[in-house]
Amino acid sequence: MLEIEHISHTYETNGRRVEALRDVSLSIRDGEFISFVGPSGCGKTTLLRILDGLTEQSGGRVVFNGVELEGVSQEMGFVFQDINLLPWRSVRQNVEIGLEARRMPAAERRARAVEALRMVGLDEVADVPPYALSGGMQQRVGVARALAIHPKMLLMDEPFGHLDNFTRETLQIEVSKLWSKLGTTVVFVTHDVDEAIFLSNRIVLFKGRPGRLAKIIEVDLPHPRWEFNVRGHPRAIEMRESIIEYLGIRDEVLV
Amino acid sequence: MSQAGTADLPAALDAGDRARRRKATAAWRGELLRIGAIAVVLGLWQLSGLFMNPIFISTPLAVLKAFVQSIADGSLPSAFVSSLLEMVIGLAIATLAGFGIGIAMGRVRIAEKLFDPFVNFFNATPTIALLPLMEIWFGTDIRARVAFIVVICIWTIVINAVSGVRNVRRGYADVGTAFGLGPLAATTKIFIPAAMPFFLAGMRVALAQATVGMILGGQEVGESGLGGLTENYGSFFQTDYLIAAIITSTGLAMMLFGLLKLFQYRFCPWIAASAAARR
Repeated sequence: MLEIEHISHTYETNGRRVEALRDVSLSIRDGEFISFVGPSGCGKTTLLRILDGLTEQSGGRVVFNGVELEGVSQEMGFVFQDINLLPWRSVRQNVEIGLEARRMPAAERRARAVEALRMVGLDEVADVPPYALSGGMQQRVGVARALAIHPKMLLMDEPFGHLDNFTRETLQIEVSKLWSKLGTTVVFVTHDVDEAIFLSNRIVLFKGRPGRLAKIIEVDLPHPRWEFNVRGHPRAIEMRESIIEYLGIRDEVLV
Repeated sequence: MSQAGTADLPAALDAGDRARRRKATAAWRGELLRIGAIAVVLGLWQLSGLFMNPIFISTPLAVLKAFVQSIADGSLPSAFVSSLLEMVIGLAIATLAGFGIGIAMGRVRIAEKLFDPFVNFFNATPTIALLPLMEIWFGTDIRARVAFIVVICIWTIVINAVSGVRNVRRGYADVGTAFGLGPLAATTKIFIPAAMPFFLAGMRVALAQATVGMILGGQEVGESGLGGLTENYGSFFQTDYLIAAIITSTGLAMMLFGLLKLFQYRFCPWIAASAAARR
């Protein structure tokens, strides 16, 4: 169980104070797939970075299984929107980086990295440099890098934001399958409502200026989702409409 | 590809062949043009000898003769070796110390506070003015010349190392943080490799500065190496020998540039490859 208690975050940019998050509280259950959805600048990525310890909050605390988190959590695997594979390392060496930080012996590290790469179907390109791969494959490596540390929780920051539609849908199915196989808790940030409905048990809606938690929606669609047409499902259509209505996306477009 | 009609195959090959041949012809033409340009310049230079005093620019044939003679009498090879030795030692010291200081400044706040005023000061100092000081400190032998090479190029290396480490993509730094690398491991595994393009750019400039330092040191400190040869030939108006020594100095610098390129090609192939992939 991960408890987010009264998290707030403000920072200064060009002498202007920005309130990125105001008093966000939320409990994340073990094993659930939860998405943070909202427009740009609503603080969803900031909250995810705070959960990992990449950004230090200005107020509030994060409690993971009864322990207050301080600094960077070693229990969480992070998947970046910009992927950030290190070009001077091979695919496998990229996946090994978290294991090097944990001072794991080389042979064990290698085996773990190959195992993680196999989970995303890329064990055959382990020795290739990352820039030789397509964007979709690179993000698979990003996922493998996070999985290699056997995280208790997977934090994914708009991981498919830069990918084309076809690749994105393939990867959504793969992530969904990985999640149901591994049972790891996943916190997934996206601004794609369909993506959130397809993947999640719960969707947390955020609104901007200041960034705040606006609403939590239970996604009461059956699993596994890749076995039916989620997008065409009447309940999903309904949910999508109400989310878009609620976030006021339609109003903004009309204005 | 395997499903392509066999009838189309020869045509496709033909088109590919033609394109390749066109490219080869263009490359040949470019090469001819380059050789032609050099030949014309050399030819005009040679002709200038008919009506100009050879003290000014000599002629290619005279230079070639001087070159062969100074190789034969051993003066050019021994000057080359001693200059190369000074360059290698000087650059090695400047590189190790410069990177060490630069990386420390880029990563450790205290180091930055400590070194920053000195780096700014010495970078602004016209380093040529330090040559007599090196003579006072180290005497008039190789130590002073090496020290001069170090002080002339180390600041460029320091400054580029600092900017390299500072300009590492935030996303790369985040990877280190998110996956639990400590400050030292993040420095060696993320910051230093990520800063390699900056380091290498700094090295190219430093190499040019070091070459100037090598020649100047040779001219001023005990007339040694290639610098000493140029000084000596110059004062006796032996322009053909002088030009042969200048060309040899250029060759020495180009050799080191080549080694730097080879280093990048061999150990940092990702710099060129990932830049090409981004395009």
